[in-house]
Amino acid sequence: MRANFIFSEVWIGLRRNLTMTIAVIVTVAVGMALLGIGLMINSQVSSMTSYWTDKVELSVFLCKKDDVFPSCKSKPPLNDEQKAALKQTIAGMPEVERVDFEDQAQAYKNFQEQQGNSLLLSVVQPDDLPESFRVKLKDPNNATAVTESITGQAGVSNIVNQRQILDTYFGFLGKLRNMALGVAILMVFAATLLIGNTVRLSAYNRRRETGIMRLVGASNIYIQLPFVMEGVIAGLIGGVFAAVLLIVTKILLFEGIQTYMAIPLGWNTVAGVITFTMAVGVVICVLASFITLRRYLRV
Amino acid sequence: MIHFDNVSKVYANQNRPALDHVSVDVDKGEFVFLVGPSGSGKSTFLRLVLKEERPNSGAIHVAGKDLSRLSNFKVPHLRRRIGCVFQDFRLLPNKNVYENVAFALEVIGKPRRFIRKVVPEVIELVGLEGKAHRMPDELSGGEQQRVAMARAFVNRPMILLADEPTGNIDPATSIGIMKVLDRINRTGTTVLMATHDAAIVDSMRKRVVELEDGKIVRDQSRGVYGQAY
Repeated sequence: MRANFIFSEVWIGLRRNLTMTIAVIVTVAVGMALLGIGLMINSQVSSMTSYWTDKVELSVFLCKKDDVFPSCKSKPPLNDEQKAALKQTIAGMPEVERVDFEDQAQAYKNFQEQQGNSLLLSVVQPDDLPESFRVKLKDPNNATAVTESITGQAGVSNIVNQRQILDTYFGFLGKLRNMALGVAILMVFAATLLIGNTVRLSAYNRRRETGIMRLVGASNIYIQLPFVMEGVIAGLIGGVFAAVLLIVTKILLFEGIQTYMAIPLGWNTVAGVITFTMAVGVVICVLASFITLRRYLRV
Repeated sequence: MIHFDNVSKVYANQNRPALDHVSVDVDKGEFVFLVGPSGSGKSTFLRLVLKEERPNSGAIHVAGKDLSRLSNFKVPHLRRRIGCVFQDFRLLPNKNVYENVAFALEVIGKPRRFIRKVVPEVIELVGLEGKAHRMPDELSGGEQQRVAMARAFVNRPMILLADEPTGNIDPATSIGIMKVLDRINRTGTTVLMATHDAAIVDSMRKRVVELEDGKIVRDQSRGVYGQAY
């Protein structure tokens, strides 16, 4: 096999079809970048899900003085004994692992840590915040049963399942991922057609050469390799652009929202995603080239 | 060298067979003219030898190989032993004489040193010495056909197929082309030439196989073109 012969043929082919080649590169780049973004979101969602599943709690808020919640209307707040009794009741449930009491001072401290809004910080006083029980469940999926049995208890204003807040957030991320993957599939489809067309044009442009090659007994691989290599090189260049896009996305987007995510997206995940998308890009190019060649380059 | 046994070929969407129960033997080193009117099956015959087409029935042996048993990926190896020349030369317009001939060896992976040695020899054999760096459009038709013959012969094939090689060339120049073919034949290469050119067939006095409507109507050693007419 004469490598320089193959490469000169490939170079000629790419140059003759410059506009088509650019179209292939752009489509592959965008398609693979979207595929990569989808995969990055996916890995982020799954690592965050497993991280948060261990940490989600039910917050059982207790009535304050003159609370507005319907279940607290015209009832005095619980005294210490009643609180201890309630804690016992909750801790006694089979689904519950641990119950911690959070008093107003603690609630205010947490509020100060979480809240960035200085105006809100300046108006809210410790007395404005309710006391609560932080209920840790053995299995977070049993939250509904526990919630239902606590809801009727006297002195409970409302119950918040942190899981639901997370679910909304993960649901949003999931939709984003599905959109990215959906568009990626469309782009991959377009890229396949474009590569097919490019190879067909190339085969047409070089029909004299390939005809003679066939005639003098060049092996099929020798005849087809330049065309497949054209696809592979276009795919690889597209893959490199996709890699750049992914790195930019990681820096601008994922690091921008990192503060909201417990686990930042690691560079080795990005590297894995880039490797995978590159491989997918090249495989698609090779397949598209081969399929087209079978139709347009009879051997 | 070429052995057709009861070969028939019907192209799709056609009722009339292109070749109809043809049996013929061509021995090593023979020079055979394949004559007959257009559509008589000459080109189909040549295409079958190259395994560009498959027969509907009958057996074909070329260079000792049964073509029906030759797997697709071995077809290129068969074609390396068969040189081809056509009426329309089929040269690469962007390569000069030397590069056109060398192309045939490059694409079958021959080493550069070998190519540098044999290409000038073949260019000389076909009578184009000193014109190795001309482009095809700077050559006459006869000279272009010589380049095509050099390319067909550069790998020393056992068989040379020529499909109307003088079809685009004036009679005076054709004689030169035939001399080259004769020279190639004398090296031991079997030559099979399809032609309409009565004058050439008559002057060469070689074996003549005449086809008509896909059937062999005449097979005559030292024949002429149209004795029956």
